Amino acid sequence: MSFILRRISTTKTGKQIVRDQALPGDTITLGRDAGNVIHVADLAVNPHHATISSGDGRMVRVAAQEGLGFDLNGRSETVADIDSAAGAELRFGGHRLTIAREDDKIILLVERIDELSQSSKDVDEAKAFSLQGVMPGKRVGAWAFGVLMLLAFLIGPIWAWHSYKNVNERPDGYHADSAWLSGPLSSAHASLKNDCQSCHVEPFVAVTDKACVNCHTGEHKAMSMAHANAPAAMLLAARHPPGVGEKILAGFAKTFNKPQGRCVDCHTEHEGAGPMAATPQKFCADCHDGMQGRLKAAGHPTMLADASDFGTGHPEFRPLVRPAPGGKLVRTTLAKGVVDYNGLKFPHDVHLQATGGVARMAASFRGRYDFGKKLECENCHRVEADGVRVKPVEMERDCAMCHSLAFETVGGVTRTLRHGEPDQVVADLTAYYRSTPPSRPLQLGGMERRRPGAYAEGQVYNIYFNEVATRPSRAQDAVRAVFSKGGACYDCHTIFAPQAGNSWRVAAVDQTPRYLQKGWFDHDAHKETACADCHTAAPASKASTDLLVPGLRQCRDCHVGENGARIVKVETATESPCAMCHEYHSDGGKPWMPARQRKKKVAATTNQPIPGTYSVSLITGPEGRGLYDVTWRTPALHGARRGG
Amino acid sequence: MASLFQRRRNKATQVERVRERRHEGFLRYAGFRWAKISGGLCLLIIVSYALIDVTPRHNGGSWYGYTLGTIGAGLILWLTALGYRKRKMTSDHWSLKAWTSAHVYLGLSLIVVGTWHTGFQLGWNVHTLAWVLMMLVILSGLYGVIVYATLPAALSNNRDEMTQMQMLEAIRAFDRQLHSAAQPLTPEDTAPVLAALDEDPFAGGIGARLSGRYRNCATAAALRTLTLSRSSDTEAREKVVGLLKQKEAALARLRQHLRIRGLLEIWLYVHVPLTFALIAALSAHIISVFFYW
Repeated sequence: MSFILRRISTTKTGKQIVRDQALPGDTITLGRDAGNVIHVADLAVNPHHATISSGDGRMVRVAAQEGLGFDLNGRSETVADIDSAAGAELRFGGHRLTIAREDDKIILLVERIDELSQSSKDVDEAKAFSLQGVMPGKRVGAWAFGVLMLLAFLIGPIWAWHSYKNVNERPDGYHADSAWLSGPLSSAHASLKNDCQSCHVEPFVAVTDKACVNCHTGEHKAMSMAHANAPAAMLLAARHPPGVGEKILAGFAKTFNKPQGRCVDCHTEHEGAGPMAATPQKFCADCHDGMQGRLKAAGHPTMLADASDFGTGHPEFRPLVRPAPGGKLVRTTLAKGVVDYNGLKFPHDVHLQATGGVARMAASFRGRYDFGKKLECENCHRVEADGVRVKPVEMERDCAMCHSLAFETVGGVTRTLRHGEPDQVVADLTAYYRSTPPSRPLQLGGMERRRPGAYAEGQVYNIYFNEVATRPSRAQDAVRAVFSKGGACYDCHTIFAPQAGNSWRVAAVDQTPRYLQKGWFDHDAHKETACADCHTAAPASKASTDLLVPGLRQCRDCHVGENGARIVKVETATESPCAMCHEYHSDGGKPWMPARQRKKKVAATTNQPIPGTYSVSLITGPEGRGLYDVTWRTPALHGARRGG
Repeated sequence: MASLFQRRRNKATQVERVRERRHEGFLRYAGFRWAKISGGLCLLIIVSYALIDVTPRHNGGSWYGYTLGTIGAGLILWLTALGYRKRKMTSDHWSLKAWTSAHVYLGLSLIVVGTWHTGFQLGWNVHTLAWVLMMLVILSGLYGVIVYATLPAALSNNRDEMTQMQMLEAIRAFDRQLHSAAQPLTPEDTAPVLAALDEDPFAGGIGARLSGRYRNCATAAALRTLTLSRSSDTEAREKVVGLLKQKEAALARLRQHLRIRGLLEIWLYVHVPLTFALIAALSAHIISVFFYW
């Protein structure tokens, strides 16, 4: 039996040279050791790896020697019997042993099939040395990321919009278009955060007023009356010529179908959580700054003065005044010498003096009323319950503490003349004189006995009975006295003497409840300031016709423009946009302001007792001077006790 | 007329040649022309942002915001076009170097354009996502510029005037020598040598590539084992140990080379995919604004 070892080598030109070598003996050893019959220089092969033998010259037995097996047809074996006619391929390490049969001889073909080492393998230089081998491709990444972004942030939101297209209100939960939310909604709209469609109804259509009005039904008109009644051409002419920026914005707006003049132009959203921001000054000043000239040029002359900034460009106030007694109210520019006839005579200076009769009288009432050493403004002027405006002065409440109308005390009850009804005053006085006897003269007192009949003039009874006889006619004198100079009515009122068919008449009193009709002034917000700080003319005013409404000058002591612009020196500046005083929608209410900018409302109202009035204060006296908390009590009437 | 253009072109080519001779890189191209231009642009934006009074406050929706946004979107698309431009080589006066220089500096100016466009109003939404992606792309690009400026010197030092294939060839040579030198060793000793031969010099993930640390290096393991082993013939083993040491050194050089190349390339794997993510997010950003107009 003979084995033939066949070796195939390949020349450089690719030509194969086959060399056969007969191997001696029936058992052939194979291994790395040089002593083997078949020497395989392969580190993966054991020094004495296997023996190959054949009993009959046909079947070949291959047996592994040192534990390490070999591969036969892909399976690991330690012993294998192989029919050489059928042939087989065995693997020892990186070598292949092919068994075949040719001419009754068993051919053993040994060849290296694996590379010597891993590094010997061919490499693609560009790929192996760069990161291409270890990183996913850039193109794959680009596509993956791009598609992911489009799915999550474009397709998803549009799908969310589409699926709730005709739904009134979206259910709770996540909606993909919330990824589009450009900023938190104001607190009023915070609940709409997941429901973009409540405002953004149609795609590519800017938010319409209709979306606002769907919920905000009839809260206010789209425009103030003043603006709504103006012709459109005039409104357009009022606008200031657009700057570069506004041209750009208008270009954007026009190109992308974003009409101007919608609610959201001023009521801007997505500007951060919290209350919606007040409309900025610029919104007004865009037109009102230099508007008079533009309107005049455009053929719409206007009385409206220009306003650009409260600190630097604002017209003087034009309060509502009555320039003549009994005349009509007119708006007049505030200036020195402007008079306002309200029908009263009232010298502020006398009442506010620190010394003198009024102050002494007030001081004598200390403890009884909330008077100090002298009269203060708030002793007579009370504010409305909401603290915004000052109530008109009322005689009974605000004057009668000092200016008594008492004329008689009956059994400890004081009778007073009826204020506001001159005819009743005349009737009361006439009745008084008719029903009461004159006081007894001293001469008629005592126990002295007198002769009757001494009624003639100059005689003793004449003193009394003449008085009794003429007493009813004395009423005329008393009435005249009351209505004439030095009388109770005349002191404060303009009196018209009786004329044909008329009795005594008192000029009507008309106190203007709100001087500044176009702006909003809140006394409550200013209650830390002394009255005279703004009403500077009051302490020196000699006549009630003096208009004591403060001017722009006084406001500007504290109030500056929205961005702090000012003309005069201001110590503690309050930035004041237009909307602080002016209400665009002119619904008569207070101009709207975010809650955090509002002053805290702590005003005690006139008609409420201050806390503790009825408890400790009865013993200790009222705490502090309680500016606005004077309550009305019955006046003490000294004169009445003396018999009128 | 034609000759006039010809002359101008000649002049441009000449200027280019001078630049080549001085080895003027894309960073200092034309005396930092694009650095000056984009610096000026940034300054203009920062100053005008402070001076221009936008109501109620600066954001992407004001006229100023729209302007910056349009500039920014245009810039992003133009910057992306570098990937196309670099595949179309010309040596004209809009050379690739000029283009790259403009790409780098205008790309950096996009930090100001994009951030000032936001009006510093950021949130958890697609708008801020686009901004974040833009910043990541810019920062990865900035990293790229820095490594391009610093690492090539290290790469050159490490090569020691060898080409990449020569480095690999050295390893192959040591492998062959190892294979024949290890033949007399016992099976216990040949196993680690075999493992060292079986080791792919390019194996290891991205972490190993960038850090240069290969914990399961078979060559190092074989060296350790054979140094301690007492089983084979000492002389043969010593020879194998010597060869393993040489192979380890060659492998270290190759790995350092791969590491530096990895550091030089890795940013592009962030820069390019994120650029396309950015363009997608930017489209979503723009469409969303008009969709919910």
